[in-house]
Amino acid sequence: MTAKPAGEKSQRKPHIGRWLVCLLAVVLVVPLIPYTFADRGNVPNPGADLWREVRQREAPVTGTTQVKGVDTGVLINIRGEQWRQFRMQTLLPAGGMVLGAVVGLIALFYLVRGTIRVPGGRSGKRIQRFTEYDRILHWSTVFLFYLLAVTGLVLLYGRFLLIPLLGPDGFAVTASACKEAHNLFGPLFFVVLVLLVINFIRSNLPKWVDIKWLLKGGGLFGGHASAGYFNGGEKIWFWLVTLFGLAICVSGFVLLFQNFDQGRQLMEISHVIHSSLALLLVAGSFGHAYIGTLGMEGSLESMTTGSVDANWAKAHHDLWMEERAAKGLDENAAPSPEQQSPPGKTAPGYQT
Amino acid sequence: MFAEFVEGPFWYFSLGVFVVGVAWRFITMLRFGTRRDLSVARASAAVGALRTNLSRFLPRREVAGRIRVPVVAGYLFHLGLFALLLFAAPHVEFIKNHITGFGWTPMPHWAFILASEAAFIGLLVLWLHRVLNPVTRLLSRADDHIAAILVFVVMLTGCLALFQSFDGLRVTHLFLAELLLLYFPFSSLMHALMFVPSRGYTGASLGRRGIHA
Repeated sequence: MTAKPAGEKSQRKPHIGRWLVCLLAVVLVVPLIPYTFADRGNVPNPGADLWREVRQREAPVTGTTQVKGVDTGVLINIRGEQWRQFRMQTLLPAGGMVLGAVVGLIALFYLVRGTIRVPGGRSGKRIQRFTEYDRILHWSTVFLFYLLAVTGLVLLYGRFLLIPLLGPDGFAVTASACKEAHNLFGPLFFVVLVLLVINFIRSNLPKWVDIKWLLKGGGLFGGHASAGYFNGGEKIWFWLVTLFGLAICVSGFVLLFQNFDQGRQLMEISHVIHSSLALLLVAGSFGHAYIGTLGMEGSLESMTTGSVDANWAKAHHDLWMEERAAKGLDENAAPSPEQQSPPGKTAPGYQT
Repeated sequence: MFAEFVEGPFWYFSLGVFVVGVAWRFITMLRFGTRRDLSVARASAAVGALRTNLSRFLPRREVAGRIRVPVVAGYLFHLGLFALLLFAAPHVEFIKNHITGFGWTPMPHWAFILASEAAFIGLLVLWLHRVLNPVTRLLSRADDHIAAILVFVVMLTGCLALFQSFDGLRVTHLFLAELLLLYFPFSSLMHALMFVPSRGYTGASLGRRGIHA
């Protein structure tokens, strides 16, 4: 036997290496051939169903979990995204437009109509209209309502309006403070609202004369519209405050007391009800505040001093004045503060 | 910087003014002394002082109906305020760390919320009564309104800072509370401490004459 030359052995090694590479390529590629020729559209991704279930793109699915609690079986809440889109794309722009439109209409009305004066001027006679308890209830409600309105509007619109002014850090502090105040004063508003409703409900029951008052536009556009102790507009506002206010309170409690297992969906619905009605009520309150202050001379006095001028009462609540006259109450009407006090002095001018 | 100032020098300054100011008010009152009564006592002055101190917690029957709202509001406000002042968890911790060196069991969170709700509605109604009632409106001075507003904003910032999420809110609350300490001895807020000797003096002088006041 002759020994093989060293060069032949060295030539065989690359040859084997090429075979191994080819074998590896075949092992890797051949299994892919069926996939290459298959109709890809009909091959389901084995993971797709799983992730569809997880993301719940089609419908909420409740799974099972060791964690016991409300919604713990839901990995991703699809309705949360729907709620978020409603809040951002519908509620915020619509609410802003309603508030802006109401302010604009009031400003336009004021420019056209101006302050409605007391017909015939002030008589100098004061008529008792609201008790001190009435007024304490009213102003407590006003204070809490606007505190909740401002803090609520900061939570709704602050991201857009306040971040440019305060910066992200400043807004974070403000939003946190507003949230705490909103949560703290909300239950107080409910208590005061219930007391207010109980106090005023009898005199706000609807009557036929209120329909006539509404048909005449409350006399705002000319003519006289008869009214009793409260007119049709005041009664509508009372019932709006009552019904919307109670709905706002109940939905607020659903949001505030999360320890009653109400779940995300109910809370999302509650938030929509809470914020939508609150925005409408805030818009309505602008009209109420306008007609009670700038819009009509002599109205604010009824809630500050408790009494009104006799001519104001005759012009705006003539049926109430007739009732009083029938009872003989106005013979002792108090003289006005101007008549009662020396110059430079103020006097209460009403009885409690 | 501001937080360090509020928690450090300004805290000690306001506390010092409060203590010295209250002591000065009491010393001034005691230095007035009492007029010597030469008549024979018909009843015990001490019993009269005690009786008046207790009886004034309830309104007189003749006016109870008319002043029901401010009486209820007054109780809500004062009881709520003192519950917050002495038993709110952050206050107990503050008193332990800065004043006494020891603390006590604070009230639970739900009690804090109830106390603050009671205090807020009570203060609001009392202030509205002050400005809406013709008699109290005429009797009120700027001091009364400043005191009410100051107490309100101190309580409000305290509740806003309840969860201490932002240190700025806590420091704001502390700063306003220090302003209240500075204002306290020189204002009608002194009634919080003066009501006992005031009622006692009236009760003693009338009680000595045999009058149940």
